Amino acid sequence: MLPIDAAAHSSRWRRRHPVDKAVLGLGLTVLAISLPPWPGAALVLVTALAVLLGPAGVPTRRLWRAYRVPLGFCVTGAVTLLVQVGGPEGFVSLADDGPSRAGELLLRTSAASLGVLLFAFTTPMSDLLPRLVRAGVPAPVVDVALVTYRMSFLLLDSVRLIRDAQAARLGHTSRAAEWRSLAGLGATAFVRAFDRAARLQTGLAGRGYDGTLRVLVPEARVSVRFTAASCALLATLAALTLVLEKALP
Amino acid sequence: MHIAEGFLPPAHAVAWGIASAPFVVHGVRSLTREVREHPESTLLLGASGAFTFVLSALKLPSVTGSCSHPTGTGLGAILFRPPIMAVLGTITLLFQALLLAHGGLTTLGANVFSMAIVGPWAGYAVYKLLRRYDVPLMVAVFFGAFVADLSTYCVTSVQLALAFPDPSSGFLGALGKFGAIFAVTQIPLAVSEGLLTVLVMRLLVQSSKGELTRLGVLLAKKQSRSETEAVAR
Repeated sequence: MLPIDAAAHSSRWRRRHPVDKAVLGLGLTVLAISLPPWPGAALVLVTALAVLLGPAGVPTRRLWRAYRVPLGFCVTGAVTLLVQVGGPEGFVSLADDGPSRAGELLLRTSAASLGVLLFAFTTPMSDLLPRLVRAGVPAPVVDVALVTYRMSFLLLDSVRLIRDAQAARLGHTSRAAEWRSLAGLGATAFVRAFDRAARLQTGLAGRGYDGTLRVLVPEARVSVRFTAASCALLATLAALTLVLEKALP
Repeated sequence: MHIAEGFLPPAHAVAWGIASAPFVVHGVRSLTREVREHPESTLLLGASGAFTFVLSALKLPSVTGSCSHPTGTGLGAILFRPPIMAVLGTITLLFQALLLAHGGLTTLGANVFSMAIVGPWAGYAVYKLLRRYDVPLMVAVFFGAFVADLSTYCVTSVQLALAFPDPSSGFLGALGKFGAIFAVTQIPLAVSEGLLTVLVMRLLVQSSKGELTRLGVLLAKKQSRSETEAVAR
């Protein structure tokens, strides 16, 4: 299982309905990209961080490991805003408002990423996918996504084992060997995926498979109190931003 | 490399979502029809999605000595066709956003457009064009994967340049900046992905001829000379 999904399964908010967590987490993300980066995104960032590390109980180390992935892309992208191409100062020169634009972008992406991470770290994919049918996603697409999700872990495990076996046979000692091993890995993943699908099909056919995959979904109800509190928090953040925007320089 | 969460302004995020929607809806309709006619396809399509997800998690040695991940869009489009790849790519990008923190939900439309629509369609078009002129299978596969990878990153650069035009030279200057970082540096990686795809396809022709025939990559009876040679090797 992947670290974020594993953390979601053992989260304090595991038993909450996904809608509760979507209103809060994705609401914070929407606020982060809609409000002015200063002070809006900064407020969202602090709030998301406080909720993640406080009530949601996400371990700091796990959060940092997940958070540094989007941060790498954001920093690389923000660096380009520091310079301008053309103009009187030469072909490439420092942009006048580059640092402020880059800073605002970093604030916005950081806050928005934390909002999504709040949802991801508290909602296992197995709770979310079956409920997408009620949200209007066609059942065959949800079924394909469910099979993809469950088979991904098996394939990732297989790939890890094959890579270890290749390394034990000196399959990564030279560049040519590395390419050969990688190609073997990709091809074996394909063969195993189709082999598992065929065996799953045989097994399901013996159990009267009619084309729909019925899975048990843990019972959960949308909490009116939690959702109302989330909406109140989001409204407060928006109002505070508008007030501070006028007050701050 | 996916555009991270919150990187695009709201108007751009919505616009790319709207641009992607017709392709994804078309793919969903194709997939739904396929599953209704052949219920067992659910498992094969799920396996294909898992394969795409795992392929994008493999570490690819670059010819410059660095390391990256293949997009898998070229191989996916050749094996499963672009309409199906639009759906499988969307599912994969959703999983990557929620399980790996790669990409994002507000940027899902933009990432789907570059990685699940333009990449697969461009790669598949080049592959089919070359095959129509009897270019050997493996050469067509190389150029299909190369173009799919490179076009994905070119579109990402365009998306970023539209969102963040250069203060002095506008869109073109920004395209040069983002292209230099995300597209030009991707050329050696695109070559690497092309080579890897050829090696994978060679092994698949040897070991999974039945599946490739079922997917329509190989002809059931008549085989071109290069395929026969590949099988013989």
